[in-house]
Amino acid sequence: MLEQIKTIRHAPDEEYYVSGHRTCAGCGPALVYRLVAKAAGPNTIFLGPTGCMYVANTSYGCGPFAVPWLHTQITNAGGVASGVEAAYKAMMRKGKYTGERPHVIVMAGDGGATDIGLQALSGMLYRGHDVLFICYDNESYANTGIQTSPTTPWGAVTTFTPSGPAIPEGKRLWPKDNAQLVAHGHPELKYLATASLAFPLDLMNKVRKGLNAEGPAYLHIQAPCPKGWQFDSDKTIDMAKLAVDTGMFQLYEYENGKYTITYTPRKRKPVEEYIKLQGRFSHLKPEHIEKIQQFVDAKLKAIEVEVTAVSEAAPTD
Amino acid sequence: MGKKRLITGVVATAEAVRLADVDVISSFPIRPYTGIMSELARMIADGELDAEFVHAEGEHAQLSVVYGASAAGARTFTGSSGVGVTYAMEVYSPISGERLPVQMAIADRTLDPPGDFGSEHTDAEVCRDQGWIQGWAATPQEALDLTLLYYRIGEDPRVLLPQYACQDGYFVSHIAGEVDVPDEAQVKEFLPPYKNKHQLNIYEPQIIGAQIEPDMGPPLQYQRALAMRNAKEVIKEAYDDYNRIFGRNYSPFVEEYMTEDADVVIFLQGAHSQTAIDVARRLRNHGEKVGVVRLRTFRPFPTEEVRDALSKFKVIGVVDNSANFGIAGGGGVLLTEARTALYGEGDKVKTVGFVAGLGGEAITRDEFYRMFAKLKDIAKTGKVEQNAYWVPFEL
Ligand SMILES: Cc1ncc(C[n+]2csc(CCOP(=O)(O)OP(=O)(O)O)c2C)c(N)n1
Ligand code: SF4
Ligand SMILES: [Mg+2]
Repeated sequence: MLEQIKTIRHAPDEEYYVSGHRTCAGCGPALVYRLVAKAAGPNTIFLGPTGCMYVANTSYGCGPFAVPWLHTQITNAGGVASGVEAAYKAMMRKGKYTGERPHVIVMAGDGGATDIGLQALSGMLYRGHDVLFICYDNESYANTGIQTSPTTPWGAVTTFTPSGPAIPEGKRLWPKDNAQLVAHGHPELKYLATASLAFPLDLMNKVRKGLNAEGPAYLHIQAPCPKGWQFDSDKTIDMAKLAVDTGMFQLYEYENGKYTITYTPRKRKPVEEYIKLQGRFSHLKPEHIEKIQQFVDAKLKAIEVEVTAVSEAAPTD
Repeated sequence: MGKKRLITGVVATAEAVRLADVDVISSFPIRPYTGIMSELARMIADGELDAEFVHAEGEHAQLSVVYGASAAGARTFTGSSGVGVTYAMEVYSPISGERLPVQMAIADRTLDPPGDFGSEHTDAEVCRDQGWIQGWAATPQEALDLTLLYYRIGEDPRVLLPQYACQDGYFVSHIAGEVDVPDEAQVKEFLPPYKNKHQLNIYEPQIIGAQIEPDMGPPLQYQRALAMRNAKEVIKEAYDDYNRIFGRNYSPFVEEYMTEDADVVIFLQGAHSQTAIDVARRLRNHGEKVGVVRLRTFRPFPTEEVRDALSKFKVIGVVDNSANFGIAGGGGVLLTEARTALYGEGDKVKTVGFVAGLGGEAITRDEFYRMFAKLKDIAKTGKVEQNAYWVPFEL
């Protein structure tokens, strides 16, 4: 059992995601990786589907992992993780491996988790493999040069959803909610949570809960991407915090059929405060921003517990 | 000593998987290979086999599961047929590239369309250059033997490559034959436990499958190519040991039937070789100098052995049981590869292709008679008028 970390000062000093990678300065997913590895500790096997956290992390001879790491295709992390878990189960039962049972963690991008890799994720959850599947959500197919993915927000510009006279708003679809999709159709799922880089203690403790759960767990972690979202590389944490404070991203846990909101901003900020800081939204007109505000309001109302959260912190301005 | 049983190719394959003490199996239903998995499921339910049986959500997932399991150190088994084989295509190269000796049984089936259930080598041959050891069993006995042989060959540290153990759908997979099922002690003597240096192990952390720079890829590709080359020596050793321990008489690469003094031969692989041999024998009774050469190992393609075997004859008819649209020579893969093997022999050896048995139709005796007649014609006139014939439409 991995214990819950009481305060950030109690977090372990040891790092298992160390130097030696080539991500952009201020890369949110890299910071997430570091916290996940720290929380998980040495008894861990990481599976890394194709995406920034494969390409920028493992350029030959300079991988940052101090624990075993295996590449998977962008399509199949859930399947590969199932195989690793099944192998250890069989080998331990048959006496072919006598060491400690390793934790198996997938670190997939939003493409690898919510789109092209969704089938593999669902198969793994359905079959009940004891794996922690983490989606580090940088809200685009980043590694291929920032293309729209299912979690790219409405109105964001990507290289596949440019804004122009015919399509002024850029992306015209509302984002897929993968955590919701995952939560309700997989009876074997033992733990699910969302987490944010701006709440590192909460993030690490959710990792540990996911690993302690005996069965599959899913974490959806928002991970701002300075390159794709177009903000300065020292603003990554600010951006993560604003996402939560505006309700663009919500923090909760889902366990034993129950939701728990794990953080409620005291005063919810208008989405504009988040949007105006990012180049990917710079083309949006006030009516576009209003549309996003309405979407966020409706979304927060959708779950009863979240209605309370909203009404307590309803913006007055 | 083993036990004699009357069983089909799929059951024989499952017996071999049991004997190999496989740890992780991944399944998805598609005919005709499905029978292997139902038999394995039965064995697990009855306590005859201790393995994790993962019901994957598709063939792509099947291959993904064994990729992970093999990297974790387990001996693995999976299989498929037809469009299932091609659906998993993305994962074949990563498996061989990470040098994971996964085994996959393929019981052949046509690709769609036409969507019939018939056997054709097309499905497995589409995957032929993915860095997997590959060959065809022609009987249920051979299906069992190939499974054990391929674990031994693929897991050898000099090779470390995955294997497609192929069998013709229905002709082998679903027709019972007498099979000598070896006992466990014999198998233990032949097949050591799986051990790979590149393994996911928390006590020796490794990064497996790192992204690399363009100039770092070719050396790895070259190593994979060398592993294929090295495999030839290992295949010979494995067959020697297998023949000795289990009392078989296999030749590892090509097998010749009635070829002494033959003028013309049919060259092919898989179950239809049995009919070809039968027809050749009948023709021999009439004094015709005909024979059959059967390819046993398809990858690595035994170029020298095929050349040595085939260069003795005047005319060779290459039978392809696959649809290869637009291929050089207009026949199939075997025709082009046999011709490549014969490069340098000049016009001395004539080759002609026959595309036959498509859609799972049996290649009939009558069709083989017609093919042999065509070969004798060519031997007489010295002229190859058409590179290849689609049977029965053109011959
Ligand atoms: C089957 C397949 N299709 C497309 C690609 C190209 N590709 C490489 S990385 C990538 C983006 C991955 O996006 P995501 O999973 O969100 O991770 P990120 O790069 O954003 O970290 C894509 C599409 C691929 N590697 N494999
Ligand atoms: S593009 Fe984004 S996710 Fe990728 S390395 Fe750069 S900051 Fe990180
Ligand atoms: Mg992404």
